[in-house]
Amino acid sequence: MSELEVKIGELRLLQLADSALPIGGLAHSFGLESLVAGDLLGVGELAEFLRGFLEEAGLVEAVFCREGFRVGSGGSGEGWLSGAGDESARFGKRPLHLHEPLTDDFRKQWVGLNDRLSAMKMARESRVGSASLGANFLRAVAGLGDFAIVGEALRSSKEAGGLIHHSVAFGLAGGVLGFAEDRTVLAYLHQCVASQVSACQRLLPLGQSAATRILWDLKPAMIEAAKRSSTCAVEDASCFMPLLDWGAMEHPALTTRLFIS
Amino acid sequence: MGTKASVAGTERRSKQAVAARSYVQAELRLEFARDDATAQTVLAASRQEPPLRVVRAFRQEDGAALVHLHNVSGGLLGGDHLALMVTVGAGASVQITTTGATRIYRPRVEAKVTTQSNEITVGEGGLLEYLPDAVIPFAGARFSQRTAIRLAEGAGLFWWEILAPGREARGEVFEYESVELKTDLSAGGRLIAVERVRLEPRSRRLSSLARLGGYRTWATFYICRVGLGSAEWLEIERELRETLELLNRREDALWGISTLTAHGLMVRCVAKRGRDVLRGLQEVWRAAKWRLYGRETVMPRKVN
Repeated sequence: MSELEVKIGELRLLQLADSALPIGGLAHSFGLESLVAGDLLGVGELAEFLRGFLEEAGLVEAVFCREGFRVGSGGSGEGWLSGAGDESARFGKRPLHLHEPLTDDFRKQWVGLNDRLSAMKMARESRVGSASLGANFLRAVAGLGDFAIVGEALRSSKEAGGLIHHSVAFGLAGGVLGFAEDRTVLAYLHQCVASQVSACQRLLPLGQSAATRILWDLKPAMIEAAKRSSTCAVEDASCFMPLLDWGAMEHPALTTRLFIS
Repeated sequence: MGTKASVAGTERRSKQAVAARSYVQAELRLEFARDDATAQTVLAASRQEPPLRVVRAFRQEDGAALVHLHNVSGGLLGGDHLALMVTVGAGASVQITTTGATRIYRPRVEAKVTTQSNEITVGEGGLLEYLPDAVIPFAGARFSQRTAIRLAEGAGLFWWEILAPGREARGEVFEYESVELKTDLSAGGRLIAVERVRLEPRSRRLSSLARLGGYRTWATFYICRVGLGSAEWLEIERELRETLELLNRREDALWGISTLTAHGLMVRCVAKRGRDVLRGLQEVWRAAKWRLYGRETVMPRKVN
């Protein structure tokens, strides 16, 4: 792969992880709104809360993003977090246009992965929200080129009546587009947490400078979550965030709501 | 000399007994069936290995069979591997409770993780109500539980679990080493809830706002009846939310509810004091059973 293609790949990943995507991302707080309304979360606690979020929910989403990547790329990518790859391996491992025949295994893995994550998301609004973002994201990627796998993923989920979650969709896109696995997972985590910080800016007296600083300081926690996800099987991905669960479950009962979830 | 030898022998035997006891593998297998002639559920077959046992199946007023899970050693020791296998036959109705809290003792340093596996099957039109007391992990405890619940068409489930922070009365809070809970709930062969929880209070602070915040006790309650459509479950969620609203008015606990991907609901609770959790779960159970089965709940009698 040429240097130009590598640079284009890097810019494409930046674009997919930008705050403009996924479409609808700004409409969800995934339970944060209830925590704020219940005086359980304030500006002072936000950084610690998000660090914990990355240790728990962040790990699960990273594991599923990574698995989505592997489904999209047809196997495990070389990881630079574990020291297995070098700088040049971070981008452009696969051609951007894939026309390989797709097997039932692919469909089974793709639908099964999303179904499993659906079953792990106990709060309905968070489950539906994640699925809404995932489908929007994947449709946006499908519109960017001729990606047979992306089209097949959309079709398979529709036929199975299953959901498409954001983390899995992001991973799949990363695998299909030839990004490096670890970089894809990190980009997803960054987008996910940035979206939560953005939601908090609308819920709390949190200024732009403070929000930027929080996100800036969370980079090591993102790297740690991505690193842990590289050795964690889907079967073992665990999450314990009962307060956020409560927030997401209680959200439909809020009388005034800024967010869908 | 004789006395010394006798003491040494006693100590040796005692150590051997403890060592032998330290790694118990035991199985409790219970199979329930409905007796159509009497419309009563009976314990049709059982296999009981110490320290696990049930005394017998008691008849409930509504035709259900009630059994009390009893660990005669008083709790789980380090390295214990206990397995519970319950089969509820088609149309049978079973209530399972415990004789007291499940205590997870501090293990010896060299002991393996204490494990408990639960394999539960509820046949067509069957109903299982699993209403145990809390699990209390003592200081230093290492515990891993794996639960697989399979529901057939028309099967119903009320399944709660309560995790205490430790022996609170002794001021022992979150001093256990690890608690791992893995639960797979499926209906008609499809996973409808997957829970993976790993708590390591020493390395991941449970009082973090991302986890329990100022709360200590955590409870999960699955409410299922296979076959009801998603619109009806949404309606049931809305109705049960009224019960939860009353519970949420108390300042020491938070209660939440949500439909699962299909066939059921989950209720979550975090509480500052454990004693209110069981009462709240019973209130939700009462409302849910009335809504789903048009029947009152029958509180399990406790035996000791």
